[in-house]
Amino acid sequence: MRRKMIPLIAALAVASFAFPAFAHFQMVYTPESALERPEELDLKIVFTHPFEAGHTMDMAGVEQFFMVNKEKKTELRTSLNPISWSGLSNAGKAYEAKIKLRGMGDFVFGLVPAPYYEPSEEIWMQQCTKIIVNVAGVPTDWDAEIGLPVEIVPLAKPYALWTGNVFSGVVKADGKPVPFAEVEVEFLNHRPDLKANRFAEKAEVEAPQDSFVTQTIRADANGTFVYAIPRAGWWGFAALGVKTMEYKGAELGQDALIWVQARDMK
Amino acid sequence: MKNRKKALVALAVLAISFLLAGAAFAHTPICMACLNDDGTVTCEGGFSDGSSAAGVKMTVRTPDGKILIEGAMDEFSEFTFEKPQVPFEVEFNAGPGHVILIKGEDIK
Repeated sequence: MRRKMIPLIAALAVASFAFPAFAHFQMVYTPESALERPEELDLKIVFTHPFEAGHTMDMAGVEQFFMVNKEKKTELRTSLNPISWSGLSNAGKAYEAKIKLRGMGDFVFGLVPAPYYEPSEEIWMQQCTKIIVNVAGVPTDWDAEIGLPVEIVPLAKPYALWTGNVFSGVVKADGKPVPFAEVEVEFLNHRPDLKANRFAEKAEVEAPQDSFVTQTIRADANGTFVYAIPRAGWWGFAALGVKTMEYKGAELGQDALIWVQARDMK
Repeated sequence: MKNRKKALVALAVLAISFLLAGAAFAHTPICMACLNDDGTVTCEGGFSDGSSAAGVKMTVRTPDGKILIEGAMDEFSEFTFEKPQVPFEVEFNAGPGHVILIKGEDIK
């Protein structure tokens, strides 16, 4: 009996070690980042694993949500409504917001979610996230720092990327570059269904191996990272543990995220 | 010698002027017009390099060229006018090659 159990336990142990730890990504999603005219944006705010659309984490709340246009900051936290968002394996607590844009230029959205406790790692996570929507092609604020505790400042317009362009940004903590920051990169691989509040079952691409699901790169000595975008769609960049601190008896890691959208030349 | 120095300085200034003038043509003018709730129309302008359109000449006219309103973009690169009761078009004129024409019926 005992002999039969040993291979089983060994197999389970191997399986648990081999199980890939896909990256957590705080998503702030809207279908189109480069608009011809000001529109009402439909934003979905989901804590997920974007390549696999697997486990959806329950968001624990939102500390800050705002937008900056022409250097003017507008508070948006009261525009948030709780929703349930479904991934392929479960549903989690998320938010949505309908935001009416007025005028031209860049609208930089900043989100600071409440810290999320990750039991498997026994740490708190807080992913400070940016997306940038442009109206009519006039650049105004895309390269500005918007005052998040940790932040990726783009060096290329995140809404004006052709497939194959490089995207680069500077990882910053309290306004200072973070040398050699670890940056995870994931493709939003399952199309979000904004009406049903869920990801599509079908994946756009299959990864040949786990290291392609979450690609990991490093910033250089000046905190600048570069990534060539191989496919049209939304790409998330997450600089991990840019700042760490003690929070409720455990470590809190603040990550800096930015989402960019690439388009095919056709 | 002195004259030669002066000539060199003048040449350098000329070269810089050409370079700056060249850069000015590298950007694209952008203008958008929206109908406001109070019946006025607001035009917002700019350039693809992020520079301001303040002072750009704005003309509202009938399709056959009769001028209805003339003005300029303000410090916020905006120009607001009462929507004419006749068919009209708006011209954003930032100089040769930098003119945008918006038809009244496209303003919503």
